[in-house]
Amino acid sequence: MRLTNEQIERYSRQIILKEVGGKGQEKLLNSKVLVIGAGGLGSPALLYLASAGVGTIGIVDGDKVDITNLQRQIIHFTEDVNKEKIYSAKEKIAKINPHVRVITYNTKVNASNIREIVREFDFIIDGTDNFPAKFLINDACFFEKKPFSHGGILRFQGQTFTYLPENACYRCIFDSPPPKGVVPTCSEAGIIGVMAGLLGVIQASEAIKYILSAGQLLTNKLLFVDLLNIEFRTINFKKNKNCPLCGENPKIKDLIDYETEICDLKN
Amino acid sequence: MRIIVKLFANLRDFGPKYQELDVPDNFTLKELITRLGIPENYPMIRLVNGDFAELEYSLKEGDTVSLFPPIAGG
Repeated sequence: MRLTNEQIERYSRQIILKEVGGKGQEKLLNSKVLVIGAGGLGSPALLYLASAGVGTIGIVDGDKVDITNLQRQIIHFTEDVNKEKIYSAKEKIAKINPHVRVITYNTKVNASNIREIVREFDFIIDGTDNFPAKFLINDACFFEKKPFSHGGILRFQGQTFTYLPENACYRCIFDSPPPKGVVPTCSEAGIIGVMAGLLGVIQASEAIKYILSAGQLLTNKLLFVDLLNIEFRTINFKKNKNCPLCGENPKIKDLIDYETEICDLKN
Repeated sequence: MRIIVKLFANLRDFGPKYQELDVPDNFTLKELITRLGIPENYPMIRLVNGDFAELEYSLKEGDTVSLFPPIAGG
């Protein structure tokens, strides 16, 4: 694949980076990144992946845009209220970068569809808003040997790590979803839009670095961000031999559909 | 004996981000978590002086306990 003159110009500010170059740009254009959830985390991730020239972007979301989303889900505009999020997101991507191929999945991920979906992509971004989905994505990526970026946000705080096959997974630190009602959700506890932005951009950055094989990834490290107190803390962790998924005697042999309690449930 | 407790993210519902606490000798991490009013089934990362620690860990004078919850919003 040769870069066209338009592409060389469009991506010139990143092509001049030694970590990117013409070869790296070609890698990006040939890459396929899946974003699960076109919400607070998915919005900035999708915008940056599209503008960076990731050639194929998958979007999974079964929701419609709600007015309560607009405070943080910056890929959706006021005029998009009641529109399917995947179509709203696809339209914005086309406006930023018409060369990106967008594959949409108008559904939520579940144990029966997720493996088939993630199989088609090189890197997965978890932009979901609930524990069951986060565990499902972790498990599906483990079984399919796919790298992914985990992200979670609440109030002014967020956490993220990157999984590569053979590295520590989400269950190495949190073995199963907490019982319903124990840990607060966004609709109960709130979320500041900029937190979603910051974390979603870190996730997009991990995807881009993975594709470019550049720098260090956030593997075996959990980054905690507290924007209110402007604190960034990284916790090193290792593959846990007692992990129920990737440990020495795994108990989990197949995907599990846990009961969902989502951020955007309306009371 | 006196220990330091640091709470992160939503665990700050159970106390300030930094506090010094007086606890009895041989107080375990599990007893500390109960004393903070955190439900037993609340998943979290438990670090003592930066290292992962089990619930049965017996606290020592001057230990710094850091507790991190999972965050699932998006």
